Amino acid sequence: MAKDAEKSTWKDFIWNSRTREFCGRTGSSWGLILLFYLVFYIFLAGMFCLTMYVMLQTLDDYKPTWQDRLGTPGMMIRPRGQAMEISYNTTNTETWDMYIKTLDNFLSPYNNSLQAEKNEECTPDQYFIQADSGDVKNNPKRSCQFNRTFLEKCSGLDDHTYGYQAGKPCIIIKLNRVIGMLPGKDGQAPFVTCGAKRYKVGKDEWKEDSDKIGEVEYYPENGTFNLMYYPYYGKKAQVNYSQPLVAIKFLNITLNEDINIECRIISNNIPPGSVRDKFAGKVSFKLRINTKG
Amino acid sequence: MFEMNGEVDVKMKKKKKIKKKDRLEGMKKEMDIVSVIHKTRRRESWREYGLTSSKAAEVLERDGPNELLPPKGTPEYVKFARQLAGGLQCLMWVAAVICFIAFGIEFSRGTLGCFDDLYLAITLITVVVVTGCFGYYQEFKSTNIIASFKNLVPQQALVIRDGQKNQINAMDLVVGDLVEIKGGDRVPADIRIIFAQGCKVDNSSLTGESEPQSKTPECTHENPLETKNIAFFSTTCLEGVATGTVINTGDRTIIGRIASLASGVGNEKTPIAIEIEHFVDIIAGLAIFFGFTFFVVAMFIGYAFLEAMIFFMAIVVAYVPEGLLATVTVCLSLTAKRLARKNCVVKNLEAVETLGSTSVICSDKTGTLTQNRMTVAHLWFDNVIHAADTTEDQSGQSFDQSSETWRSLARVAGLCNRAIFKPNQESLPIPRRIVVGDASETALLKFTELAIGNMMEYRERFKKVVEVPFNSTNKNTLMLSVHELEDPMDLRYLLVMKGAPERILERCSTILIKGQEMPLEEQWREAFQTAYMDLGSLGERVLGFCHIYLNENEFPRGYKFDSDEMNFTTSGLCFAGLISMIDPPRATVPDAVMKCRTAGIRVVMVTGDHPITARAIAANVGIITEGSETVEDIATRKRIPVEQVNRRDARACVISGGQLKDMSSEELDEALRSHPEMVFARTSPQPPSSPPLIIVESCQRLGSIVAVTGDGVNDSPALKKADIGIAMGIAGSDAAKNAADMILLDDNFASIVTGVEQGRLIFDNLKKSIAYTLTKNIPELTPYLIYITVSVPLPLGCITILMIELATDIFPSVSLAYEKAESDIMHLKPRNPRKDRLVNESLAAYSYFQIGAIQSFAGFTDYFTAMAQEGWYPLLCVGLRSHWENVHLQDLQDSYGQEWTYAQRLYQQYTCYTVFFISIEICQIADVLIRKTRRLSIFQQGFFRNKVLVSAIVFQLLLGNLLCYCPGMPNIFNFMPIRGQWWFVPIPYGILIFVYDEIRKLGVRRHPGSWWDQELYY
Repeated sequence: MAKDAEKSTWKDFIWNSRTREFCGRTGSSWGLILLFYLVFYIFLAGMFCLTMYVMLQTLDDYKPTWQDRLGTPGMMIRPRGQAMEISYNTTNTETWDMYIKTLDNFLSPYNNSLQAEKNEECTPDQYFIQADSGDVKNNPKRSCQFNRTFLEKCSGLDDHTYGYQAGKPCIIIKLNRVIGMLPGKDGQAPFVTCGAKRYKVGKDEWKEDSDKIGEVEYYPENGTFNLMYYPYYGKKAQVNYSQPLVAIKFLNITLNEDINIECRIISNNIPPGSVRDKFAGKVSFKLRINTKG
Repeated sequence: MFEMNGEVDVKMKKKKKIKKKDRLEGMKKEMDIVSVIHKTRRRESWREYGLTSSKAAEVLERDGPNELLPPKGTPEYVKFARQLAGGLQCLMWVAAVICFIAFGIEFSRGTLGCFDDLYLAITLITVVVVTGCFGYYQEFKSTNIIASFKNLVPQQALVIRDGQKNQINAMDLVVGDLVEIKGGDRVPADIRIIFAQGCKVDNSSLTGESEPQSKTPECTHENPLETKNIAFFSTTCLEGVATGTVINTGDRTIIGRIASLASGVGNEKTPIAIEIEHFVDIIAGLAIFFGFTFFVVAMFIGYAFLEAMIFFMAIVVAYVPEGLLATVTVCLSLTAKRLARKNCVVKNLEAVETLGSTSVICSDKTGTLTQNRMTVAHLWFDNVIHAADTTEDQSGQSFDQSSETWRSLARVAGLCNRAIFKPNQESLPIPRRIVVGDASETALLKFTELAIGNMMEYRERFKKVVEVPFNSTNKNTLMLSVHELEDPMDLRYLLVMKGAPERILERCSTILIKGQEMPLEEQWREAFQTAYMDLGSLGERVLGFCHIYLNENEFPRGYKFDSDEMNFTTSGLCFAGLISMIDPPRATVPDAVMKCRTAGIRVVMVTGDHPITARAIAANVGIITEGSETVEDIATRKRIPVEQVNRRDARACVISGGQLKDMSSEELDEALRSHPEMVFARTSPQPPSSPPLIIVESCQRLGSIVAVTGDGVNDSPALKKADIGIAMGIAGSDAAKNAADMILLDDNFASIVTGVEQGRLIFDNLKKSIAYTLTKNIPELTPYLIYITVSVPLPLGCITILMIELATDIFPSVSLAYEKAESDIMHLKPRNPRKDRLVNESLAAYSYFQIGAIQSFAGFTDYFTAMAQEGWYPLLCVGLRSHWENVHLQDLQDSYGQEWTYAQRLYQQYTCYTVFFISIEICQIADVLIRKTRRLSIFQQGFFRNKVLVSAIVFQLLLGNLLCYCPGMPNIFNFMPIRGQWWFVPIPYGILIFVYDEIRKLGVRRHPGSWWDQELYY
């Protein structure tokens, strides 16, 4: 008996045939309230669109309004490997083949022919500033050539395996693009330097592999990012921008061991990044080259 | 279902009643046995020697101390655990566990930002524990109030042990102890009297009888409550001395048992508790429903199980109003504090609101409606009835005191009086001084003290020679005394006499008129009769006074007056006048009753007094209004038998205890329904079926929310049964205070009205507060919905939500409790607990789907602004989630071709949280402003009248700024210092909220009852 009563109240709530009510409202009542909400939400959506439209009008197409987070540009390597770990076996082609492919892909826009076709040669060691004159935009902006051959042994032109087969791998380092960034002052170009990374092995116990890294070569010379590639004007104004690169080649790295390497940008104009951002102005990765099958 | 429940309930009640009766019977039997045992052990030597100390210590060890223990409650840890295991709390526990699991997994992966989950889990647990502690503390404090009351009166007892009289702590009394009590003492245990001299006790705290009961060693009745030889624990000995043996101590005393009976009566859940429970269930249900739906959706879209669980957790956190319980508690305790300042101590916080929905108040007469002190109300002399000043503070008009008769009358009243002031009270105003003596003598003493001056000195001047007191044994209804005269040259004796007027008149042959002795002719007798009837019909206790100067020759100085032989003139006296006394209503009561009436609350009076007195007081305070007639009145007016009167014509009704006993519950319901003005008089206070309990049950059957006031132990079952029990702080017994939800420290009925007003106000304000609190749940929830479905970077984090719920929005929501009433709430009917819910459909719909929706749009506008201005266009954001949250992707391109590391994106995400947070805050400021009123325009209510609210808004803004700009915040609470411009983005939406609500209120005001009003008024 009790159960029936319960059931009927629920049923009554969902569809009350006596008052012709569905969920406590009649059809016309539902209609009215839904119409009200329809109008209400259309109005709200309209207001939302309006405010968004106004907001979008305030934006500059060529430069973001703020660059609060990009004070220190990030750094990245190619190939990235898996979670910044590059490990392969020299004897097993398949283990490093993907790195070669990544690099080939990554470097293909830097082929000298392409660069010559799209970009121009600039005066090195000084900023390539292409200012707008007032409201008249000086667009499209030109970009400087960064030829693949600048990477010399790491260009993959002579050695198609970028030294991977020989156990002398090349890692290409790039500095994240940030619009308007001038990475060095007084004509001093920023450069990359790589070394061992201090890493924790136990409580208050730190270790670094500086003796195991061996000799490192930088291309272009000294691992500099030439100032002529800066500032960057954004992908809309500077369509063919070629990001400058630095390649490092490990000449006699200790084999069959994990080696932690950290590369950082040295510049008199880039603030040191936050402690929490491991990729601001520096990049660290692990390298392991196995030789035994 | 409901019917069956009802049946079960009735059965249960019956069972309980039977049990109670059984227990009471058992109690009686036991008492008899005890008395038999003691009779056999009675020996003369023991009577003087008492127990030995060692024996006493032994018994104390066995029986425990002689004190009333509070009814055994649930253990403390269970109470605490219960605070932690509510519906919402359980949800939060689940959320915290999910956070811990997520933290564990992410930590093992070494993800940046995995500690957020840990913080979140810790915050969630802290929230649950802190609110739990808060609730527990409230509960703890309410029990503490009782403890403090108990400690107010440290009791001492005069006990005879080892043949020596000792003053010991009453707690150490044991069964068999010989104790002495004297006037003014509280009886320290249940005592069988073995010797008594003029001993009278006041049983009012136990049985509600206001008349003092005399105690003698004879066993006069087999019922321990009726017999004369047992005095009860906690009653007061008014006069005389008595010696007795202790027969019961502590919880085994009659009072202890009644208290424990009372604790057996089910406590009704308060309406607000029902409201909140109902509402929390819905919220918890919806949270789980939403969470689960999105869990399934997320799984379906292809998120990992862990991610889906985190979504579930986040939705629970977003949807559950974490701050709500704290807000409600704080609002209620604020009101409780406000009430405490007005002498209402609220034990049970929720009772504050119950008071507001009260529709019937069952009020005790003595002490609550009246001052609980006999006061001279009228005098009849010189053939005129004079009204005396009965106000508490003697602020009223006095009568003409120039007549010579008045001086004689006052002299009789002053001299023929055994009451005396307790010493050392000169600093107190006369009405407040403590007097030893019975009620009417006290009244006369205070009256004469006020009229003549220092009575003690006055009596010194008229030295008392002999006196014959009222004596119940020889049925003497008169009291007389013989005094020497003030003037030492006048050697006559003055005999003064007072007593029942008709007996006094019998003894008189002359009457004083304007100071002249006139023969008592028929004309004067008739005048006397009329005056006597008039005063009697006012429900007043009338005493007659007469005097005579004894013949100097017959009774010379040194004459041996003998009070037993009565060897002196006691007739042919000179009648001086009548004085009538009443326990006058408190000055504030008529006004308060009037307020109750306009507020739609019935006041029902319940008293042990005579129906005539009860009616007179009821009429005096307005419980029976002018022009209202009882059935009997109509019968006399129309000169027809009572049976022929249409009961519905009579607005008022006085029901005596005897009639009440014979009524079935249906008849009582009918009586309560048909007569709006009810007085229950001469209610015999015998537990367990005390009349208040029956009346309360009847009112509750009629659907009323009943408040009951009471002070006696016998009231405690009714206090507990009532929706809100109100105990008297001064007159109330501990048992009553224990059973009550509220305590009136000044025993004043007017305080109840204040309580009602505050209760109604808090109901309105809680509604506003809850509406405010609920609104932000939508802008907290929508970011997740959008995040999951459209895959934008997360706009609002869980910790940010908790900061809104628990930090910035708490103060504004509490400040709404200080909002003034929109209209005169005391002119409205009490709310119907079935229809006027705290959280109704339109409140939820308006908060969630209208204001909440506007706030969500505000948040998203600001979110997209912050993203776009930093380089992420809205369209790029859509579907960006998987890249955005890829920990290994350190060069993700934005709309301008710039490349971002993961950490840079994460801090950008925190910026979004902050921006969304600020949007909600700005909108909530608009929200708190619109919630000030539900119907009136804010311009009518005033922007700045609620100072607390203004400061709450300032506080909210300051706290928002602190969270945004305090260094270190990004890594603790995920707040970033945001651009000042982003504070202004949500302002158009804030204005929209404000304007829209003004339009809504305008519509509601202009078109009451319209579709707009029905759908949009909450």
